[in-house]
Amino acid sequence: MIANFMFNAKKYLSLYKAFFKASVVADLEFRLNFVLLVCSEFIWYSTQLVLFEVLYRHTNIIGEWNIHQMRVFIFLVLFVDSIYMILWDSNFSAFTENVRKGTLDLLLVKPVNSMFMLSSQKISISHIPCLFITGAGFLWAVAQIPDFNYWKLFWLFILVPAGLSVIFAGRFALNCSAILFTRADFLQYLWYSMFRLGLRPDAIYSGFLRFLLIFIIPFAMIASIPARILLEPINYGFLTWALILPVLLITGVRKYWSYCLKQYSSASS
Amino acid sequence: MRKSFIAFWRRNIAFCKLGIVTNLEYRFNFIVDAFVQPILTVGIEVLLWLAIFKTAESAQIGGFSRESYLAYAVWAPFLGRIAISWMYESMMVEEVGSGSINTVLTRPISFFEYYLSQMMGYKLITTIFSLLIPITASFYFDLPVQYLKIPLALSLVIFYLFLVHTMSFIISTLGFFLTRVRSFTLVKNLILWLLSGELVPIDLMPAVMKKFFLIMPFSSGVYIPLAYITGRADIELILIGFRNVSIGLVIAGTVSYFFWKRGLHEYTGTGA
Repeated sequence: MIANFMFNAKKYLSLYKAFFKASVVADLEFRLNFVLLVCSEFIWYSTQLVLFEVLYRHTNIIGEWNIHQMRVFIFLVLFVDSIYMILWDSNFSAFTENVRKGTLDLLLVKPVNSMFMLSSQKISISHIPCLFITGAGFLWAVAQIPDFNYWKLFWLFILVPAGLSVIFAGRFALNCSAILFTRADFLQYLWYSMFRLGLRPDAIYSGFLRFLLIFIIPFAMIASIPARILLEPINYGFLTWALILPVLLITGVRKYWSYCLKQYSSASS
Repeated sequence: MRKSFIAFWRRNIAFCKLGIVTNLEYRFNFIVDAFVQPILTVGIEVLLWLAIFKTAESAQIGGFSRESYLAYAVWAPFLGRIAISWMYESMMVEEVGSGSINTVLTRPISFFEYYLSQMMGYKLITTIFSLLIPITASFYFDLPVQYLKIPLALSLVIFYLFLVHTMSFIISTLGFFLTRVRSFTLVKNLILWLLSGELVPIDLMPAVMKKFFLIMPFSSGVYIPLAYITGRADIELILIGFRNVSIGLVIAGTVSYFFWKRGLHEYTGTGA
């Protein structure tokens, strides 16, 4: 069993390495396009920072956080987002097109896990600079917090993957639904609108909506809960939830994928 | 002269209808585009501003009340969605890049007109339906919105759309010279998003930046019409908006003419 696992791990790692190489070559082929893509990502991330920097010129607290705490949250959300953008976004963006044009068939018949194939074929190299910048920004923001306990950063090894699992499962599940509809551009729009829920601290939501964002459509796990664990006394309930959530989400999305595949009728001729 | 104008009008109306029909074809797609997405966006922005005012030290921020900012949060995403072109710009870029522009070049309509009319049709239909959302929210929260001013404000946004489309046209002509131009669309739209005042109300910006934002024609897409509707500004600012967009149109029109001529000269039809 262990030998089998090692064999599979080696196979998928070598595949991923090949995908990475192909992505580097593809992205760097058009240099101006690449540079502009990097610039556009910087502009996007800057706008998120600018919004809160301007707002804090006129108020001291938003939700429950001051500007220093909010910077930790913003840089963390941007850091998690840049990981997601590097690993999965370009694959998910192409998904509906693959379904519509029938090129999904080619990916399904490969002798590898179809979810892996659909989500990992293309790595977005242009987002890598943003990962470093947002990571550095996050460390800078943390350093501005008085008496910050740096040991708490180790919790991020649990919390960041939990946040990523929310994005992965949410986007993958929406994409699966493209199989059930003829034209599913709206799924992309829907995703970007929903994702905005995670770009704001959970403290601005209250009552049932907050409960919804923590437990039902858990966008709060992307950065709000991790930021709370870093900035406030540790809530072990949230940490337990961060351990359970990825298991639930990945199991759920696998089942939903199997269901959608059963409904799939190829569009290619 | 009259005859040629009638022909011009008829063909543009035909393509405008095409834009409407194409977008209504997939109903679920349209419902999400016209209703679900705006509701979610408005909801999140309203919640953010409610949270800001809940903890703010005074009843006013930057000289304006909570209701004034809620009005901004409700109307800015609505106007911002009208005043931007993602879909049609991508289609134009794709046409030039793939060579399928050949089919448009051989028709008795210009490439610019063909997509302008379709985009206007699409914007018209989504505006009519999406307008229900900010109006309902304004009534619900009793926001300081002057409803009689909406037609003039929307006229400015529609006029601004000509500038947006001209910029999209310029980006698509870059496809004659470059293989990949998607990044230009991204950069341009993000800059427009920031400069239009959709992200942050321009009133909250430092004075120098505020002045700069108002000199640019892009504030006519969101901030100026919104300021007019909510009573932050009077008709003078709307007229400044029309003037700025006109200047922008002259500049963008000249650039686009130059790029189009040069591009067509460079272009080799591949018979796609």
